[in-house]
Amino acid sequence: MDATLKLWAVVAIVGALNYASRLSFIAIFARRRVPALLERAFRYVPAAMLTALVVPMVAFAPEAADNADVPRILAAATAGAVAFVTRSTLRTIVAGMVALWLLQFALGRIG
Amino acid sequence: MRRFAADADFRAGFAEMVPACIGLVPFGLVCGVGAAAAGASPLAALGLSAIVFSGAAQILAVQLLAAGAPLAVIVMTCFVAGLRFVIYSAAMAPYLRPLSPRFQRGVAFLLTDQAFAASVRRLSAGGNPHAAGLHFLGGGFALWAWWQVTNMAGYFAGNVIPPSWSLDFAVPLCFIALVAPHLRTAPTIGAALVAGYAVIALSALPMKLNLIVAGTIGIVAGTLADFARERWTRR
Repeated sequence: MDATLKLWAVVAIVGALNYASRLSFIAIFARRRVPALLERAFRYVPAAMLTALVVPMVAFAPEAADNADVPRILAAATAGAVAFVTRSTLRTIVAGMVALWLLQFALGRIG
Repeated sequence: MRRFAADADFRAGFAEMVPACIGLVPFGLVCGVGAAAAGASPLAALGLSAIVFSGAAQILAVQLLAAGAPLAVIVMTCFVAGLRFVIYSAAMAPYLRPLSPRFQRGVAFLLTDQAFAASVRRLSAGGNPHAAGLHFLGGGFALWAWWQVTNMAGYFAGNVIPPSWSLDFAVPLCFIALVAPHLRTAPTIGAALVAGYAVIALSALPMKLNLIVAGTIGIVAGTLADFARERWTRR
């Protein structure tokens, strides 16, 4: 298949499927009641899904997928504490990046 | 669009998303670089970021395209990586019921990890659903517009940020900023711990299935802990 055509096919099909995923339950529950059990389960979606998303990004540096990355894990813990207290995205990013740079410098990773 | 731009809730949502946008710069650059490396034309690269609008799916797509994978494999892998949107869609649905179908379709198009995490607390707090919806649209639109800018910057300028700066770390920091304030009850903390453990334990699963499976296990764990706590406090 022609490379350009293939890329546009990916854009169209993946775009459509992703949109279907995004709309799925918004459309379904627009017409019927949400079961009580599900409504309770939905409370735990942010904590569970976002943690599952974040942990692999933190635990392993992009280029070294085998070894746990200690500075990243410690910097993430620092950022988590800052986020918990301040609830501020900007402060969390700044604290986490500064912590990571300091830890990498201390462990001699920047050279 | 002008009607939205004049709305206070839309503008507040837009403004509150600015720090997360800054954190997303390295991610957008990487996606743009990947599209260029896969030989995409500028228009196709823009199509990818504007229509697919999901960093994880875009990176998987361009990596598989560059490796010459069959179309079916690319589509399937990206679809599985996007299954978490189904869960976000379900979690937001109860709060979006009062809104018009047009409004719901707009929200669905802008539904991303960041937009979901940033808005779910406000949505679940109650209040005027229309105002919360406009707040979501404002934040979602800020993310979408900024995503196109960073992707195009990466496509044309390459990865201008040296990897030794570790700025890719800003992406998980964005999510930490959004998830950590949620962790204030025992079932919520349990849900996060179980999901975090499971995603590592299941990392051998293909197509990044560990993400959606671990997320689901965490949700079930949180719900069970919620029931257990309820029974315990009733006694």
